[in-house]
Amino acid sequence: MNAQIIGQMAVSGALMGLVYALIAYGFQLTFATSKSINFGQGELVMISAFFSLTLTNLGFPYWAMVPGGLLFGALMGLVVERAGVRLALEQKSEGWILLSIIIGLFFFSAAENIWGRDDRPFPTPISADPIHILGVDVTRLELSVAVGVFAIMGLIELFKRRTLLGKAFEAVSADRDAAELMGISSTRTVMLSYGLSGSVAALAGILVSPITTVGPTMASALILKAFSVAVVAGLDSGFGVVLVGMFLGALESLASFYLGSGWREAPGLILLILALALRPNGVFGKATIRKV
Amino acid sequence: MFRQTLCGLLLVAASGAQAADTVKIALTGPFSGGSAPMGTSARDGSKLAIAEINAAGGIQVGSKKMKIEVIERDDEAKNERGALIAQELAAMSDLSGVIGTVNTGVCLAGDKHLQEKGITKIICPAAGSASMTQWSKAGVKDNSIFRFAAYDGIQAAMVVEEAINRKFTKVAVVFDSTNYGVSGRDDMLEQIKKQGNKLEVVAQEKFNIGDKDMTAQLLRAKSAGAQAILIWAIGPELAAVSNGEAKIGMKAPLIGGWTLSMSNYIDNAGKNGNGTLMPQTFIEEAITPKAKSFIDGYHKAYKVDRIPSAVAAAQGYDALYILAAAVKQAGSTDTKKIKEALEDLKEPVKGVIATWSHPYTKWDPADVTTHEAFRREQVVMGMVKDGRVVFGNDADRARLIKSATTVTPAKTSKTKKK
Repeated sequence: MNAQIIGQMAVSGALMGLVYALIAYGFQLTFATSKSINFGQGELVMISAFFSLTLTNLGFPYWAMVPGGLLFGALMGLVVERAGVRLALEQKSEGWILLSIIIGLFFFSAAENIWGRDDRPFPTPISADPIHILGVDVTRLELSVAVGVFAIMGLIELFKRRTLLGKAFEAVSADRDAAELMGISSTRTVMLSYGLSGSVAALAGILVSPITTVGPTMASALILKAFSVAVVAGLDSGFGVVLVGMFLGALESLASFYLGSGWREAPGLILLILALALRPNGVFGKATIRKV
Repeated sequence: MFRQTLCGLLLVAASGAQAADTVKIALTGPFSGGSAPMGTSARDGSKLAIAEINAAGGIQVGSKKMKIEVIERDDEAKNERGALIAQELAAMSDLSGVIGTVNTGVCLAGDKHLQEKGITKIICPAAGSASMTQWSKAGVKDNSIFRFAAYDGIQAAMVVEEAINRKFTKVAVVFDSTNYGVSGRDDMLEQIKKQGNKLEVVAQEKFNIGDKDMTAQLLRAKSAGAQAILIWAIGPELAAVSNGEAKIGMKAPLIGGWTLSMSNYIDNAGKNGNGTLMPQTFIEEAITPKAKSFIDGYHKAYKVDRIPSAVAAAQGYDALYILAAAVKQAGSTDTKKIKEALEDLKEPVKGVIATWSHPYTKWDPADVTTHEAFRREQVVMGMVKDGRVVFGNDADRARLIKSATTVTPAKTSKTKKK
């Protein structure tokens, strides 16, 4: 097979991989502050996409719909934190795993009842016509995914480094107890991280929906990939998820081309097993000592 | 689902007093999920016919006029739900008939319960071959299951014919991994052979339900030089194929099963769907007065400006009229007598697709077409154009106008294939 096809498959796979990376980044945000992640993150992606679709159908222009969707995502993230995670964390239990799954199921049922079970198109002003770059066809929609992913990750990283609130965030991530002693409310910081994580999920939904359509089950495949990416990259490397996400996406699409579409997921899963066996903290993760 | 059951119960309760004076007909199908455009359209088409019949006082059964009472069940395109519903219906002692089912798997799971009790069912609009051939394979002597759909055999023949007529020589065969997709592929490959191997199959590509990214399959088809894609799958994934083509700058048109006319294909593919071809039994175009009144009636009753699946709606409408004609001829609400009347309908039934003259004959396990109403001549090629399905070939339009106004010749079942 010629280089052009390999290039095409790798590029479109890598661009989809950025969506996995973005969702994985959402896991990292909450893991950093609270050592917990939202197992219902996929449902946050889906329900925020549905909400944004409703905004669009109500006549909101794209530029107003995006912040609306992000705000909704943040709110939903806070709901997860308040209703599930905080209770478990206060009791130092691992109950957040089950609670966040349950809240996700609740979102899923709610979406089925409010919006129905059908897959629907997500209108966008961004054209889906291909542009030809170096022998590879890329659509503006796919490029918009890349722009969106890098923009929000860049903004959040800047926020963490440059603002007072962001520094509090980093402080809680580094050492929760010490931060508490310095007068930083860790509860608030965890709330902030869940809100940000919700917004990130919402953006992933808004970016991916025009390509994949919106439906209650839209995120079930995405979320598994995002987990793989988060685990392979490690739960504390923002830069790592981007690289691993793009790599996994490209690997998947090359596998479906050369091995047949039924084998699409196989290399990713092998990668996951290898990573767990060789680098349990992630390829880009720091080894940590867990005090029991 | 809950609400529907509740409504059903209320209906039954409310009409309990005059239960003996109604003809009970069950409408089933997927009213939610990926096949919902077909299920709801077929149901709503049937209900439109029921409203017309009831408004005129009902069906003349023997000496009195009886109104039709509807029992609705959503099988959600799930086989296990279909089986449950069929069991429930089979347990009803006063049911006159069943119309419905979109998914072949649901037919396979449920229809045996109806057949056992001898309950008359018109399958509409499921098209998978297996839903009828299961009875010929089992060699049943007396079959109460009829079908009212352009079955896959006809469709596959037309798809291949269309590709040849459009002077394509290299095609890719693309299908989903369900029963429906795989049997569609087999039908198409068989037809290519049958029609003289004028098409070279340069690629065979498969995908799963729920797949959104078809780049790999399409790139393989493209690099093999496919000029057209012969495809067998269901709505949302079909749209992913069209959108994938646009992305990699591929221009090969899709030609495939009638599912390409479902609104969830047309809407999700948008302008990338233009030029897609599929066999249709009905095109939403007011070519005859009857078609016009049906289309207007549907739009008005359900407040839409496009029928989600025009084919399913028209078939639901005609199937109901055919069943009603059988009830009238039988002079009874007894489902077994209705079955006998269906196998020998004396009077032609004026439908929106055609005028149906003797659509069914006595069941012969060696020949499923005895219980198939559709013939090649009632099916045309439709084409997607700007979000609607129009006639693919103008000659078909003229032919359909003719067939709707003249009586279709009584069929001679022995000469048909299978």
